Amino acid sequence: MIILKKGNLRIPKWNRKVFAVAGGLTNYKKFCPEMKLEEQVMVAFRQMLENNDLKISPAEIKGLVNFLACGNFSDHFQDQLLCEAKVTDYLGLDPMYDIGIKTGGATGGSTVLTAAMAIASGYADVALAVGWERMSEVDTRTGNYYIANAACKDFETRLSRIYAAYYAPMAVRFAWAYNLSEETRAKVAVKNHLYAYYSPYSQQPGKYTIQDVLNSPMSTYPLRFLECCAMTDGAACMLLCDEKTAYKLTDKPCELFIAGGSHTLRVADRRDMEIPLLPHETPDMYKGLRKKEGQRWPGFESFAAARFAAYFAYRMAGVTNPLEELDLVELHDAFTISDIQTYGDIGLRPYGQEPDYIESGDAYFGGKCPSNLSGGLIGTMHAVGATGIFQGIECLWQIQGKYNKFHGDPKIWESFGKKKPKDWKSLQVPNAKQAAWVSHAGVGSHVTVGILRKAF
Amino acid sequence: MASKSKITKYTGKPAKVLQSEPAIVIEWPRSLAHRHTYGKLSPFFKGLTEGKLLATRCINPECVEHRLWLPPRADCPDCNQPMTWEELPQPVIGTVHTYARVEYAGAGIELTTPYFQVDVELPGVCTIFKGYLQYGTPEIGMKVKACFRTEDPTNTILDMYWIPLADDKAARF
Ligand SMILES: [Zn+2]
Repeated sequence: MIILKKGNLRIPKWNRKVFAVAGGLTNYKKFCPEMKLEEQVMVAFRQMLENNDLKISPAEIKGLVNFLACGNFSDHFQDQLLCEAKVTDYLGLDPMYDIGIKTGGATGGSTVLTAAMAIASGYADVALAVGWERMSEVDTRTGNYYIANAACKDFETRLSRIYAAYYAPMAVRFAWAYNLSEETRAKVAVKNHLYAYYSPYSQQPGKYTIQDVLNSPMSTYPLRFLECCAMTDGAACMLLCDEKTAYKLTDKPCELFIAGGSHTLRVADRRDMEIPLLPHETPDMYKGLRKKEGQRWPGFESFAAARFAAYFAYRMAGVTNPLEELDLVELHDAFTISDIQTYGDIGLRPYGQEPDYIESGDAYFGGKCPSNLSGGLIGTMHAVGATGIFQGIECLWQIQGKYNKFHGDPKIWESFGKKKPKDWKSLQVPNAKQAAWVSHAGVGSHVTVGILRKAF
Repeated sequence: MASKSKITKYTGKPAKVLQSEPAIVIEWPRSLAHRHTYGKLSPFFKGLTEGKLLATRCINPECVEHRLWLPPRADCPDCNQPMTWEELPQPVIGTVHTYARVEYAGAGIELTTPYFQVDVELPGVCTIFKGYLQYGTPEIGMKVKACFRTEDPTNTILDMYWIPLADDKAARF
């Protein structure tokens, strides 16, 4: 079994504070022939530079950047090695150093982590975290084939060739262990498709009922298509700075903390281990958790990588009770089940009581700690390398009080060839001060938890 | 010295245009073969073709993990020492830990859909082994028996599969 020692559990620490000041997104859609990869990144970059109320000109900001972290999940999709160089050149940031980041679905989170480390260490005062994916350069089944290469190719890939089939066994097991109903899973899908309806960036908006979700075609039982994210083309970028520069650039900077955890690629290999406790948890809470035969932690029910990321990030940021201290969260709802599993990992509910986060109403707009007001992955996007950056930007804009500016402006809708719905409503969380987002890969092989805190 | 024989010629196949408006999209076909090694796990895959299920065990007395590994690993992740091979006694009977029914699969799938993928607990094994059920409907806790494709093997993990134990008379005592 995995036995953790003091050094393994050392809490990460920045050598100086790190801030996020601006973000940019693109229209997220399947098949984007009107733009090449780097042209699409430019859309996000321009929005970041020009529309975030920054106090100095785009040209001057570019003159401050001296490091880029570039996230993209799969060379197979892009069909271009070293596209980092193409993007950096295209954005006019040569000869600043760019490092390509790859950690599957958590690539976006890892990209922000890398850029943050550059600021925290003093390597850079201003760094760009930029990510992209072009998943529809192949047809959907070929895309599934590529993604299934992120399962163990000797022992898992040939058994499915589709990623839903690596999460579906978790859904079956979780339902058995912790009494999760199909309706609760469907509620997550209904909620996130609905929130996507209010976002001009979204790929899969929709007003669905629980019954619609349960009646939608099966991907891998028990997961239906409306419970799954889609293949997306798109990009996102976020600007990070040190404290002094942050206040020079914006009146609304947010302090950033981010940390990660990893675990086996094969879920099969996740042996039982002691649960690392979050600040608000006690060992007594989990005495009866493994009450059914064969139960183990994290096993097929939970994600140790997410638990470790939260373990580190909460302590880094001084968060002592996530449900009380976070005003919103953005979770990695690639599948309804992975969203629900994460509620326990990051302490929104104790392990075993995850479904209650949805059933109690806490997860909804107006609830105690709403999740995925952006529409998440199910509703808005999963352009893999961009996803963890997109989630962070949605948190940033919420804390800056700019949800309406970036989602309600009819001009943004029009620029994507869409019409703002007549019944559009604002999902701005009033007086949001602190938010967290989870970027997650490979059935829980890599997870980052990022925290943004109002610093104005 | 200029001569006509030195003219560089195009020898490719013109790219098929998938759409020409508003942007030109071409098709870029390819067919590639990778050389994939099973490395130190070769005995496992050879074993499948012979109807044997081989696992590895760490025999380092100072190690904290002495159970079997399946999928096997050549080296122990806990103490980093080489492990030894052990064949599981026949019949190999396991318990379904969880399962999924694959209905829609990506390109390259080699099994007819829908089919059940099963994750199987085995006595004395520290991991849970993924495979597929050849027929029947799984449930958590169900006993299954390992079978092998020794004739016309695929030389992949698909050379073993599970069947419901209840249906297998030979394995019933
Ligand atoms: Zn060992």
